[in-house]
Amino acid sequence: MAIINATLSVRSSDLSGNSLALSKTMKMKKHTTSSSTTDGLEFTSGLVRRTFTSLNHVDLITSGAQNYGTPTASDSNAANKIYIKNTGSSSTEYFEVGLGTSSGSGTATSDAIGGTHLAIGRLYGGDWMLIPGHLKATVGDVTVKPSTAEKMTAEFMVFFE
Amino acid sequence: MATTTASLSLTSADLFDDSLSISTSKTLNKAGLKEGLDQTTGVNKVYLTATTNVDLITVPGATKDGKQNYVYISNESTVHSEYIVVSIGDKVIGRLYAGDWMWMPWNQQAAHLSDIEIAPSVATGMWVEYLIIHEGIVLTSSADS
Repeated sequence: MAIINATLSVRSSDLSGNSLALSKTMKMKKHTTSSSTTDGLEFTSGLVRRTFTSLNHVDLITSGAQNYGTPTASDSNAANKIYIKNTGSSSTEYFEVGLGTSSGSGTATSDAIGGTHLAIGRLYGGDWMLIPGHLKATVGDVTVKPSTAEKMTAEFMVFFE
Repeated sequence: MATTTASLSLTSADLFDDSLSISTSKTLNKAGLKEGLDQTTGVNKVYLTATTNVDLITVPGATKDGKQNYVYISNESTVHSEYIVVSIGDKVIGRLYAGDWMWMPWNQQAAHLSDIEIAPSVATGMWVEYLIIHEGIVLTSSADS
């Protein structure tokens, strides 16, 4: 097992009347049925870097077997984690990150209750996210849709069981 | 406007033969602008005593679609086997086990489809902490009866 630490820090001196200084560290661990013991995650995709040059809505991270292994899905108890960053610096260009099935075209798959895709949010230049990874076949794919056909680059890393 | 930064440090000395060290920081701006986000829920802490799937925050309409928001959620439990299932609408993002946190952008794209929901794994009581820094959220109309 490995020891992986992820520390989040959110700070502001003027967002509200009192300064905000949130700091939280998690050790990325496997799921366990024990109340007191667990081991660290030990599998990873490594840091992957992909460049996009179209508006197409595509899979960034696909569930199921990959060349780096086969992550167990979250609904089988796994405690996977996914890190994604828009490496650009633009304040206007973004990746729309979603879950589910990508359309492969310039129009994202429509959202609906029980539908096949849902947008989570937008990563503008420099934005990053760290979320638990569902990674169940079809519904757990992580999709991106660039806001421009100009060259944009995303980095991601999957930590999984 | 306000200046708020969100930073991440990802480190491991033994995940690879070489050590892992990722460090990144971002100032939180409004959508498409270099102007800082200036609204927040503040840091909230709730104690949940049922396994019911509940809204942490509800999106009653799509009038804020395209605005930029960031969400932090932390499972404050210390019992390793306890988790919360985090969803947006009917789409599961994944499980946060005890001590896990998440940080993500969030778009209030569609009424209720974009609700942020959590479901605890146990009914014996779990603390959950969350924070939303946003560009405006829609408050529901008051009802006195």
